[in-house]
Amino acid sequence: MFISFNWLKQHINLPDSTTADEVANKLKLSTVEVESVRFQGADLEGVVVGEILEFKKHRNADKLHVAHVDVGEGKPRQVIFGQMVKMEPGFKVPVALAPTALPGGKKIDRIEIRGELTEGMLCLDQELGLLKEGVSIRFFEKTMKNGMPITKALGLDDYILEIDNKSLSNRPDLWGHYGIAREVAALFNREVKTYETKEINKSIKQEIKLKVEIEDAKLCPRYMAVAMSGIKVGESPAWLKERLTAVGLRPINNIVDITNYVMLDVGQPMHAFDARKLTINKEQLTNVSIVVRRAKEGEEFTTLDHKKYRLDSSMVVIATDEKAVALAGVMGGLESGIADDTTTIIFESANFDAATTRKTSTKLGLRTDSSARFEKSLDPNMCEVALKRAVELILEICPEAKVASKVIDEGKPRLFTGPLEIPVEFFAKKLGIEIPVKTIVTILQRLGFIVTEKKKTLSVKIPSWRATKDVSIPEDLVEEVARIYGYDNIPATLPTFPITPPGENKLRTLEHRVAEIMVRELGFTEVYNYSFVSASQIAKLGDDISRYLELDNPISKEKPYVRRNLLPNLLENISSNMSRAESLKLFEIGKVFHGDEAGPRVDTNGDELLPRQDVYLTALYVHKKDTTPFWEVRRIAEMLALELGMHFEYAPASARPLHSWQHPARTTWLKMAGGIVGRVYELHPSTTESYGIAQRVGLCSINLSELVEMNKANSFKNIATALSSFPEAVRDIAFLVKKEIAHADILQVLGSIDPLLTKIELFDVFEGVGIGEGYKSLAYHLTYVSSERTLTNSEVDTAHSKVEKILQEKFKAEIRK
Amino acid sequence: MQNKFEDLKTQAFLAIKVIKDSDELVALENKLLGRKNGELTNLMKSLKDLSADVKKTVGQLANEIKTEIEIGLDNKRRELRQAEWGTLIEKERLDITQPALPKKERGHFHPNTIIQKDLENLFISMGFMVLDGPELESDYYNFTALNIPETHPARDSQDTFYIKGHSNWLMRTHTSPMQVRAMQKYGVPLRTIVPGKCYRNEATDVRHEHTFYQMEGLVVDKGISFAHMKGVLEAVARHLYGQDTKVRLRPKFYPFVEPGVNGEVTCYLCKGSGCRLCKNTGWLEIFGAGLVHPSVLKEGNVDSKEYQGFAFGFGLTRLVMLKYGIDDIRLLESGNMKFLEQF
Repeated sequence: MFISFNWLKQHINLPDSTTADEVANKLKLSTVEVESVRFQGADLEGVVVGEILEFKKHRNADKLHVAHVDVGEGKPRQVIFGQMVKMEPGFKVPVALAPTALPGGKKIDRIEIRGELTEGMLCLDQELGLLKEGVSIRFFEKTMKNGMPITKALGLDDYILEIDNKSLSNRPDLWGHYGIAREVAALFNREVKTYETKEINKSIKQEIKLKVEIEDAKLCPRYMAVAMSGIKVGESPAWLKERLTAVGLRPINNIVDITNYVMLDVGQPMHAFDARKLTINKEQLTNVSIVVRRAKEGEEFTTLDHKKYRLDSSMVVIATDEKAVALAGVMGGLESGIADDTTTIIFESANFDAATTRKTSTKLGLRTDSSARFEKSLDPNMCEVALKRAVELILEICPEAKVASKVIDEGKPRLFTGPLEIPVEFFAKKLGIEIPVKTIVTILQRLGFIVTEKKKTLSVKIPSWRATKDVSIPEDLVEEVARIYGYDNIPATLPTFPITPPGENKLRTLEHRVAEIMVRELGFTEVYNYSFVSASQIAKLGDDISRYLELDNPISKEKPYVRRNLLPNLLENISSNMSRAESLKLFEIGKVFHGDEAGPRVDTNGDELLPRQDVYLTALYVHKKDTTPFWEVRRIAEMLALELGMHFEYAPASARPLHSWQHPARTTWLKMAGGIVGRVYELHPSTTESYGIAQRVGLCSINLSELVEMNKANSFKNIATALSSFPEAVRDIAFLVKKEIAHADILQVLGSIDPLLTKIELFDVFEGVGIGEGYKSLAYHLTYVSSERTLTNSEVDTAHSKVEKILQEKFKAEIRK
Repeated sequence: MQNKFEDLKTQAFLAIKVIKDSDELVALENKLLGRKNGELTNLMKSLKDLSADVKKTVGQLANEIKTEIEIGLDNKRRELRQAEWGTLIEKERLDITQPALPKKERGHFHPNTIIQKDLENLFISMGFMVLDGPELESDYYNFTALNIPETHPARDSQDTFYIKGHSNWLMRTHTSPMQVRAMQKYGVPLRTIVPGKCYRNEATDVRHEHTFYQMEGLVVDKGISFAHMKGVLEAVARHLYGQDTKVRLRPKFYPFVEPGVNGEVTCYLCKGSGCRLCKNTGWLEIFGAGLVHPSVLKEGNVDSKEYQGFAFGFGLTRLVMLKYGIDDIRLLESGNMKFLEQF
């Protein structure tokens, strides 16, 4: 929204020395976001009044014309233009003299366009930054001197404040200049002028019997209307046009301009109907009867801007017996709008329900200055102020106009206006600073609150313009006082608390520890992915899509499903990075969503539960030259166990049903005392193929939410054992066994054969050349030690030969010498 | 006899003087002091034929000369060694501008993790609990409990991802739902932060993401005031951007706080004088905050007559972008290794 500084000053006596920038700064700190303060004439130094002497078609371009323009320089300038607006010799228009620059930075240079020189540009309002939308141009009076700067010609001496509409969303009272003026008055400790309007003359002959019926008072709390006859539609007076254009509105005609002016002044949108279109008998305007009703399902409606809409019953229209004539609070209809020959009008000044207006405008994609205001919950009292002001202006601008009907006022709006009873100490308690009562009272009064002080309590009545939704509880008043007093004037102090250590979030600690190990120990890189996946990603995994939760309104139609697994997007990371990498080591820690399992509560009391949302670690490894990435990802489980002081049992693939994307012969489940918490595996070759990944993919996936629960009991462990003071004897042994023989089985057998054998460490596994088909070679370091004495060679020999013997017996091992 | 010794000494020192390397030194040492045929050794052997008297004086002289020659040789040896070290060290000279090879494989944290952990640690040190909550939330905790009425624009499907078939399930649009969950679960007094993933139904571009990270904070206790809120937020700002950082609060409407503010800190790049980063305002907007609305306390089963509190929310993603100078928000969730390997 644009606010004209000159207009603002109409409502408040600010000292002459107060600048627009100062006003903007105070507003910024205490009220709303002011995006910019712009001097109207800014960047228009190079634009002057120019008279078109003659023009002809451009030789080489059908759509261009070449004009000679008198810009007061003695010699006319040659200017090429495009006839966006019809031109005639003798017209005086704004001309930018090359070289110069226009608002927005557009550079105007002396250049040739298709072989013809242009020494400037004829400027539209939009190019001069005078209007935001449309295509329009200023024509100057013949008396205006050629070459006169347009800042002077147009009287551009105003400052325009641009206010961010979003920052006004909870302040319905600030959608007009008067509301802002009231706020500025409080900020500068001045008084805003009373908004005076004349009573509408009631002693009139009723030319028109006007009747209004409201079907549902909730949708339309108040509807005021009055008919005016003797209207002559025409151009608005200069002062009115100046006000409107200053804030970026294009003047249309005196009637429409008045409704717009009133809206921008007091924030109340208005509408003017051509009375002829509201009555059946168009010759005799005697009875006009309108109803505020819900639209019919599928009812068609064409708005003022020639657009057709199909309405539904959630929307509200203003209608005659025949048809809708306006979309309540949003826009008027094309047919019933003001025409050049309109002589009798009906002014509407109504109050429409905020939520309904917003829904309608959102549904139709039709946002207007009017809907933007109604959806903020306007003060119904403003209907009257606005109507009076509009009538007053009409009578001033069209002297022949007269009031032609009774003033209709339907509906009974109700507002909670207090009083709120607030102990004075409440302010200090909330703010942490004592503000003198006198200051509190003054601030509230400046903002329009009515305050009475009795026995350390303030009784505060809320003005209607703040009572629609913005202010209703004492806390709201604390804000009013604090922001005007200045947040900068409230000291910063740290609260004091007992030194109780905060409860530890064990899961978060684990997440950080795991990330640390992955990055620092194992050289993996952490990625963050979206929580959404596509149908094709799920299909490629071979997973059941019906188990996935789906977004109702996904941003990308392609990825509407909520992930059950971190895997699919990690696999996508491979595809997007593998072309430039020899190998990839990635991991993500994040939530996955299982709609088929129970999670946190939906609300305080009900039984409904949200989906389960556990935190997972999934790590992924690929290397162009590694055909068995399994080992590198198994290392993750090993390292995590070591670092976190836990123990995993590596259960075979058969321990639990596999997902279709797991390699059945290269999968191990990570088992703890409480159950299975994760898995280390390679992606099934068919899955890598369907993803188009040339390499084998190794994965380690652990449910950290479960791990943290299972590991709670385990967190303290006596891992230190007494060290023997006698020397150790280390013997190596290598042997051939069948491939099926598992290391774990060998460990188990050797572990219990002799108390002197205290450490068994596998250090080499080999298959292939020199080893028979179906066999593998294993090599172990075996450590023999006694805690009581130094072992003799023969003692070690005896124990070692026991090992050889049992390997041969149990595993048919062939000992390699 | 004495002269012979004196002559030998003179010759020996002349010889030592011209020695060029350790081989010559060893040879000379042998030549003079060799146990079998050393010139001095031989000469000393011949002393045995002399009379006891002469033997005594000459013997003494001989021993002195021997010691002198030995010292001379030692000095020469040290001198030669010194020169050798010099040569050796010059030979071993390294190009210290070259990095250690082969390159050590190194992992990388996501930048968000780094900032989040840093802030978690700061808040833990101030006695805050770190909580997380469901990312797939209920309408109740995400909106209703936070005093966001049915008709509030935030509930529009333009802003919120809803779950098909469950009209009251959604992807949380902020970390604030944990305010009420935390009060219900832990009661008061309460000090907590909630860093986490949030979702908004928003088209992505350089500055907009549908997935981003926030950090909520909540303090509820007796006598908690606006001044306390300012104090804590100032402490955070100073931790992030240095001791001379100032905090500026401006009114901003959030339904779940009253009064509500948005918080800006002095631009760390220009120190407040205005630059490209802060769009010439001197300030960077990094958080929203306010005193907890009484109806939110009520939803959390907290008596608002006795307790009050403040809540704040930092745009964690924004902090990350500011800290590392990341100008395209989409990089953060791109899985682009070239990007991630910088951290």
